[in-house]
Amino acid sequence: MKYEYLCKKLVSPIFTMVTLGLLIVLLPSAMADGLRDIAVSGKVTSSVDGEGIPGVNVIVKGEQSGTITDINGEYSLEVAGENTVLVFSFVGYNAQEITVGNRKVIDVALSENISELSEVVVTALGIERETKSLGYSVQEVGGDALNQVSQDNVVNSLAGRVAGVTINQTGGAGSSVSVVIRGASSLTTDNQPLFVVDGVPMNNGLNNVSENGNNNQVDYGNAISDINPNDIASMTVLKGPSAAALYGTRAGNGVIIITTKSGSGSKKLGVTVSSSTLFEWPTKLLDFHYKYANGERNSTLDEGTAYWAGPELDAGNVVNQFGYDEPTELRSYPNNMKEFLQTGITSTNSVALTGGNEKGNFRISYSNMSMRGMIPNQDRFTNSLKTSINHNLTEKLNFTSNITISRANSNDIPSTGDRNNNPLQAVYSSSYIDMNLLKDYWMPGQEGIQQNKPPEGDNPYFIAYGMTNAFVRDRIYGNVALTYKFTDNISLKVRQSLDSYSENRETKIPFSADRMRKGNYTVADINYQESNTDFLAAYTKTMGDLDLNFSVGGNMMKQKRQSVQIGSGIGSDNRNNGLVVPGLYTVSNIPLDNISVSDEYSEKAIYSLYALASLGYKGMLYLDLTARNDWSSTLPVEHNSYFYPSASLSWLANYTFNLPEKVSLLKFRTGWAQVGNDTNPYNLEQSLSTGTWNSLITQSVSGTQKNPNLKPETATSIEAGIDFNMFDNKLRFSGTYYSVDNENQIFPQVTPLSSGYSSRIVNGGLLRSQGLEFVIGGTPIANKDGITWDLNFNFSKNSTTVEELTGDLDRIEIWKDNGGAYTFLGEKIGDIYGYGIAQVQDPNSEYYKWPIIDGPEWIGLEDVEDWEKVGNFNPDFLLGMQTSLTYGRFTLNASFDWRQGGEFLSYTYRYGESDWKSQRQLDQLIQGGLMSESELIAFLKSNPEEYIIPRTGYYPRVGGHTAETGGLEYDGEHDGAFIPGVVQTAGADTPDDFSDDEYTEHLGGPGTTIIPITEAYPWSYNKNITFDASFIKLRELSIGYKLPQIKGINSATVSIYTRNIMLWNAADIGVDSERAFQANGGTQGNTASQFKQGYERQNVMPWSGSLGFKLNLSF
Amino acid sequence: MKNISYKKGILVMALAFLTMSACDDKLSEINTNPFAIDPVNANVNLLMPSVLGPSAVNYLNLGLGNMGGAMQHTQLSGWAGGHNFYDWGGEDWTGYFNILRTNELLIKTANRDGFPFHEGVGLTMRAFLFGQIADYWGDAPYTYALKGDEGGDEFTYPQYDSQEDVYMSVIDDLKAAATLFETGNETGIDSSVDLYFEGDMAAWEKFANSLLIRYYVRISEKSTASKAAIEAIVSSGKFISASSEDATLDYTGKSNDIWPLFYTDEASSTRYQACKTLIDQMNATNDPRISVWFAPVQVRWEQDLLITGYDEDKMRIDGVVSDILRNWSDYRGRTEEFTRHYNPNDVTFDDSEYVGIAPGILLSANNTYNGNTVGGQGRHNIHASMLTETFMDGDATTGDMLQSRLVSAAEMHFTLAEMAINGWNVGDAQTHYETAIMSSLETWGVEDEYATFIADVPFAGTVEQIITQKWVASFTSATEAWNDYKRTGFPVMSVGNGATADVPAIRFGYGGDELVNNTTNVNSAISNLEITEYSGALGKDSPYSKQWLLQGTGKPY
Repeated sequence: MKYEYLCKKLVSPIFTMVTLGLLIVLLPSAMADGLRDIAVSGKVTSSVDGEGIPGVNVIVKGEQSGTITDINGEYSLEVAGENTVLVFSFVGYNAQEITVGNRKVIDVALSENISELSEVVVTALGIERETKSLGYSVQEVGGDALNQVSQDNVVNSLAGRVAGVTINQTGGAGSSVSVVIRGASSLTTDNQPLFVVDGVPMNNGLNNVSENGNNNQVDYGNAISDINPNDIASMTVLKGPSAAALYGTRAGNGVIIITTKSGSGSKKLGVTVSSSTLFEWPTKLLDFHYKYANGERNSTLDEGTAYWAGPELDAGNVVNQFGYDEPTELRSYPNNMKEFLQTGITSTNSVALTGGNEKGNFRISYSNMSMRGMIPNQDRFTNSLKTSINHNLTEKLNFTSNITISRANSNDIPSTGDRNNNPLQAVYSSSYIDMNLLKDYWMPGQEGIQQNKPPEGDNPYFIAYGMTNAFVRDRIYGNVALTYKFTDNISLKVRQSLDSYSENRETKIPFSADRMRKGNYTVADINYQESNTDFLAAYTKTMGDLDLNFSVGGNMMKQKRQSVQIGSGIGSDNRNNGLVVPGLYTVSNIPLDNISVSDEYSEKAIYSLYALASLGYKGMLYLDLTARNDWSSTLPVEHNSYFYPSASLSWLANYTFNLPEKVSLLKFRTGWAQVGNDTNPYNLEQSLSTGTWNSLITQSVSGTQKNPNLKPETATSIEAGIDFNMFDNKLRFSGTYYSVDNENQIFPQVTPLSSGYSSRIVNGGLLRSQGLEFVIGGTPIANKDGITWDLNFNFSKNSTTVEELTGDLDRIEIWKDNGGAYTFLGEKIGDIYGYGIAQVQDPNSEYYKWPIIDGPEWIGLEDVEDWEKVGNFNPDFLLGMQTSLTYGRFTLNASFDWRQGGEFLSYTYRYGESDWKSQRQLDQLIQGGLMSESELIAFLKSNPEEYIIPRTGYYPRVGGHTAETGGLEYDGEHDGAFIPGVVQTAGADTPDDFSDDEYTEHLGGPGTTIIPITEAYPWSYNKNITFDASFIKLRELSIGYKLPQIKGINSATVSIYTRNIMLWNAADIGVDSERAFQANGGTQGNTASQFKQGYERQNVMPWSGSLGFKLNLSF
Repeated sequence: MKNISYKKGILVMALAFLTMSACDDKLSEINTNPFAIDPVNANVNLLMPSVLGPSAVNYLNLGLGNMGGAMQHTQLSGWAGGHNFYDWGGEDWTGYFNILRTNELLIKTANRDGFPFHEGVGLTMRAFLFGQIADYWGDAPYTYALKGDEGGDEFTYPQYDSQEDVYMSVIDDLKAAATLFETGNETGIDSSVDLYFEGDMAAWEKFANSLLIRYYVRISEKSTASKAAIEAIVSSGKFISASSEDATLDYTGKSNDIWPLFYTDEASSTRYQACKTLIDQMNATNDPRISVWFAPVQVRWEQDLLITGYDEDKMRIDGVVSDILRNWSDYRGRTEEFTRHYNPNDVTFDDSEYVGIAPGILLSANNTYNGNTVGGQGRHNIHASMLTETFMDGDATTGDMLQSRLVSAAEMHFTLAEMAINGWNVGDAQTHYETAIMSSLETWGVEDEYATFIADVPFAGTVEQIITQKWVASFTSATEAWNDYKRTGFPVMSVGNGATADVPAIRFGYGGDELVNNTTNVNSAISNLEITEYSGALGKDSPYSKQWLLQGTGKPY
């Protein structure tokens, strides 16, 4: 109620008030401006052939307003006064700025752009640099590209756009989005890049999962989603240490610099309004069969079992069943999921106000996003108010500030991290129950006490509406800076920045939940604060052919995190002991002997000094040198200071040599850099943890061993690349090779518990990432008959190998489950293993490689040396493609993302097949009951590779569920099956001599162990459930139309769009392989990640279709 | 003008440095965790419950759980691999070493600061835990174990000690502990943190000595020292000899000692049902404990020559024909008579009041056992006995009987009865046997039935009888019954076709944690195991291979 109140009662009115207020303030001024308008018109032509150019942008400088030329190259618009400056720009031509003066007709001839290299990008520390001068790869994505389609988390719009950047939405809407640049190569961190917004480092970890209540893992989403996409002017991706070295310690995984829009250049008040609404609906579901009702044997409906192996559905079987007083026919409900889900609606509205004068400018923006998820009751809201001010206090002293206040909140984030408390899993519990019987999710008269529970699992509506996981995060971030220009050559900038938030989480679970019979209440308060104080002194000088830039700076970073969590105990033994009074969600209603309390605190500081020098020679050769020293609080005194340098070189060969005119750019670049890294707070000294035994306070020794001798980590990288543009930059190529060595990684080495400890924090190892990135762009049609067509491809390939490890260690553990993701020395990160299967080893035996059957089953080999590699969760390559087609006022944009290669494990299918739900296994069965015994044996032996020997994604089983589907006779029914192979009998010699062992065929003849089909699933072998993770997605598709001039409105665009459409998926089992990220309560293996990558477990929101509408207006 | 600009600039710069130097906390101070406790400042009274509580919980979980299944007290109707089928390949010892880590600090701190009671408790618990590790797995790290914090690969990847050496160390620790308790030095005792004996040093001494008896007997086949040592303890009288002295942890139902079995739905604790092996034994001897532990079958078969076959899909409630009620909760609290009829000329069912499910049969057979038609994974069989509500739904009832029993007087007297038969000077065999039975009946609140019961099980003077009665008495703590089985081969048990082999398993396979993270050393230990005819494709690390203790004994197979 509290959050609902805040959202609905408070936030909406605030939005309405702010909008109304702005309209009241702005409309009169806009109208007043209108009175002073001067009408200007003219024609824009090409200086080359004198033809009119359609589609040229004609913009009033400093404002968003303007128009475009028509098919003849003609334009007309109204401007505010004679001082107005018009900017004429078009791809492939040099832009022109013209002051209106007293002219009413302004004709312009645009010259073709020989080189667009004067392009400027924002680099480390916010320093603006010309792209051509950079010796490393930097890719920028402009705000326009980010805003064609509304995204609830702005980083989603990077997907497929930047070579070397992998974006994964780990779960459904609002879940965390993982951004990995150039492959995950750090064990110490969650591999997420540093986000810097207008110079403010923003906290954005991937570890936002907490387990509130038994098995109720909630992914609260990462904090970067607090940013309003409409505020973003550009995002720059600094990919490697070369680019990011100046950010030091935290830049090991790359940096994403976000520059927000400012009021820069505004001379009068301008207003832009943007509104978009997206509808989303389910399309593809899991490949489940809906042929049989719940039950373990064909003859009997067993409503309480998870197996879908009971009586046939839609076949006239009339029985007593859930929801009916009378015996009723068993029917299938394959559309239950679509019935359960609702149309998701996301609407985003924002308004921005800009203005300025000769002294400075400002921008104020307000944005509201509200999302109703496809899962009933799921929602999410963000509201943010941002102000940016730029003011010249004196001619030499400039003041800027950017401050954002935001609130992100949700009334309910469904848990989709595991099978329990997961509404999606609950919908897939029963094949024969109509969702409509569950909609009233309380038993009449027992509201709040007893759910209307289906015999198997929880009622999905009860999970959706009854169990809620809410949060509110209030955040303020921003900076104030003063820049003083001593002379034209010397300046000093001093800045103070802050990122601070407090987040409240609250989970309510009512009585009668399957795993928490007496409910659960959990609250958490999390407070985070980071402040940075920095200065940067810059000196620039031109001496003849030499350009010199020299800067020194320093930074003082302080970070503090504090959290308290109080809740009902969640151990499996405490499921019955959540709350005393049903429906009363207060801490004081938790039984005192079952309260679980934890509090955490950590603090860290890094002081830094750095310097950089940039030398340019004749505008064709650039050398950059940087150096930085960090002092970190987290390392022991003797190792807490560490220094690292970088160097990079850029050579524009087309200026050195006299190349044909077709070549517009030929650039060679190379860089070398080092970055040091520290560790988390309190990793040095062992400490005791406190706990409770009922009402006694206890102490115990933690199983993680700390290390007082840690040294900083080092990442050393080299990078080399070439940029080659032709035909006036209409064809663009850029290629980069890089190699990064991560040495001395600080990670928890898994140790055998017999040492007393489960892990020990160590320094060591060498992880090497190598990769290739290509960007190919082209403008096949540049303004021909009003058409412009742009194409861009991003290709990247990365692999990370473990080159060295510490001590005797021969592998690292990423996560484990029946084997798991381990990387052995010399192998690639991402390898996934499964238990081996005992098979005949003797190559001379006629049964070579046949599985050995013990009882009815395979024999699992769990020793490491017997494991089998089943795949690797990293892709072979990524390919992104963007295209845009402009025709007059229409623009079509599309962005594709192709991920090729890699595997994932589907634990949804592990359960789905063990529970006899998936269609796949029905299709794979060898219908032995349809053959005679001798026919069957001959058939199986005709192709052992196909029918007997297990392989990835396939496990041979003979039998069926009914006589008609090939079931063998078992205990009077025809649902028997067996696993083909051989039975091993020890020879006469010593028992451990296998050479004289004898093998008996287990192919359906005498001695074959027949068991009910539902017991014949080989449960512990990852090999069975390994799938190809390749896919092609249409990330974004939009069609925009720029409206003709309307009086009082400077520009108006409407667009229609869709996003995240799965076009092709190799596994084709209804699981989105991108979401093979399982959220966990704790970090996994040797890593610092709470997610198991390459592991999908009931993270199965159906694939969706979507349609959105967007309107942009500026006054 | 220029001058002014410079001054302003200097001012700004000065401000900047002022801001920076205003927060000149020392970096190392920032890295001092205000929420953490230095191990040097550990408090022995706060460490003790961290050791005692989980140790007893583990013992109960195993003794009621998988060992209860292995010893055929109970069978599960779902998720039964470790319970019914001896599927014990790859068991981790996490639960033991996690406690031992804290226990080491308890011993060290108590020794340093002069708390002999706490040190004795630490030594006793180390013996109790390592004794179990040796019992279950065999060879295990001991000398190099638990020293990971000293650095060095020899401690990070500890070598294994032989099972024999581990047992010897267990005995040494127990002797040392008994000596410390003997001093009566009660420095620092806080009775509230002693979850077993409320700070009673004499009781602890008896506990330590009882464990000594347990382990001397354990190795008696291989050690000549056992006889004299046990005779000495018995003559001192300082061992657990009355049921009131049993080493137990009470289950109060609070957050840390909630009884592990409780009813949440029809596939929760309802999956625990009586095993035929135990029920047949108890039925045959009119054992009064049967109604304490087990509930009568929910729906009892009744002979009826008037019908053909059996009441297919029907039952009778007080004789009135009805659809079959399938849920345990459908019967809960009701007093009617639930029956199904069958014609013994057509089919055969067990129509006793208490029926146990045959051990180790396939789950599908388990679910349909004795004519049940409403089974399913984890669901109970209405024609077989379940545990009584006391044990099955610990949430509904708390009571004196919900305890983890680490050592009992019954165990001690049965043990001494057996040793007396072997000719050891530990008293009269029959007296010990009868005292043992009396102690057990006291524990389960049926001591009034002693006279009747003992008439049904008069002392026969055989080891088989003693071990069989000891096995019955070990309900909820079946671990010792399993150890006795390994040592003596009693009680003789058969196993169904669902299990890997035709006999009960005799050890745990080493767990994934060791196989993956301590490969070299565990493989060296595995090579010391002896393959039996039941070891199968798992080879030496099979649950059916023999540890040092059993090698050459011909027991249990």
